Amino acid sequence: MRIIVDILILCSIFFAFAGVVGMLRMPDVFCRMQSSTNIATLGVLGVILGGFLFSLVYLHDVAMALKLLMMGVFYIITNPITGHAICRGAYKHGIRPDNEMECDKYGEDLEVEE
Amino acid sequence: MKKASPSAIASTAILCFLFWLMITGQIVSIFKGEASAQVLIAGAVVSILAGLFSARFFIHEKAFFLWDPKRFASLIVYCCWTFPRELVKANIDVAKRALDPDLPVNPGIVKVPANVKGSYAQAMLADSITLTPGTITMDITEEDDKTYYYIHWIDVATQEPEEAGEAIKGTLEAGVRKIWED
Repeated sequence: MRIIVDILILCSIFFAFAGVVGMLRMPDVFCRMQSSTNIATLGVLGVILGGFLFSLVYLHDVAMALKLLMMGVFYIITNPITGHAICRGAYKHGIRPDNEMECDKYGEDLEVEE
Repeated sequence: MKKASPSAIASTAILCFLFWLMITGQIVSIFKGEASAQVLIAGAVVSILAGLFSARFFIHEKAFFLWDPKRFASLIVYCCWTFPRELVKANIDVAKRALDPDLPVNPGIVKVPANVKGSYAQAMLADSITLTPGTITMDITEEDDKTYYYIHWIDVATQEPEEAGEAIKGTLEAGVRKIWED
């Protein structure tokens, strides 16, 4: 059981590391956001699941385990909304990638509306 | 603004009370038979007040819509199997891209049709797509009774709306539709 907890936490450390590396290396705002969701999902969920199992099996503290689970649920509900809002806000504010994007259907449709 | 129906207030209050029980840890004490009446009563009063004030922002349609065994089962399947599978796949993919020395990214914004009805289902699918690394929902529009998502995609494989939709949504859309269908 202890091995499962360790593997979960190691996995989440790996994904958080990959997310940070991605954030530093990606070329523009939107790609950096993509990389940051990497940390946000498996990076955080791995730690929460690991903590959940640990407090359930080793600390015998069901209340703490449930609290961790609630944290995970709230995290999952609120996180995509901020990601979406930051991305859309950046786009509407006029931030564009330095390199040409493969295609930009959103920009085309916004121009048509105006 | 629309007024909240009594069932909407009731369901919001019940949800709040469940959250209260979990956050305070009382749900464990109840099973052990040592729950503190003071905490329970305070929680009940606060959740009813919260339900009264916030139900109209929270629930717009039928309040106990999800309380149907079939729908609830598909929600559980979605949360425990369909969504985590897509999440892990996409996470590994983006982590590989970030750690690759060549940084193989090919970003772009594609327009993708979605065949889901109702604002809850649309929001759930959009959130699921955003939570999956590699794709972020930028905006949502409705044209001629069809819903379209604008999605920022880190690796644009195809600009064809239908094919891109297949690649991005994968099994997510079917799962969401199963939960919210009438």
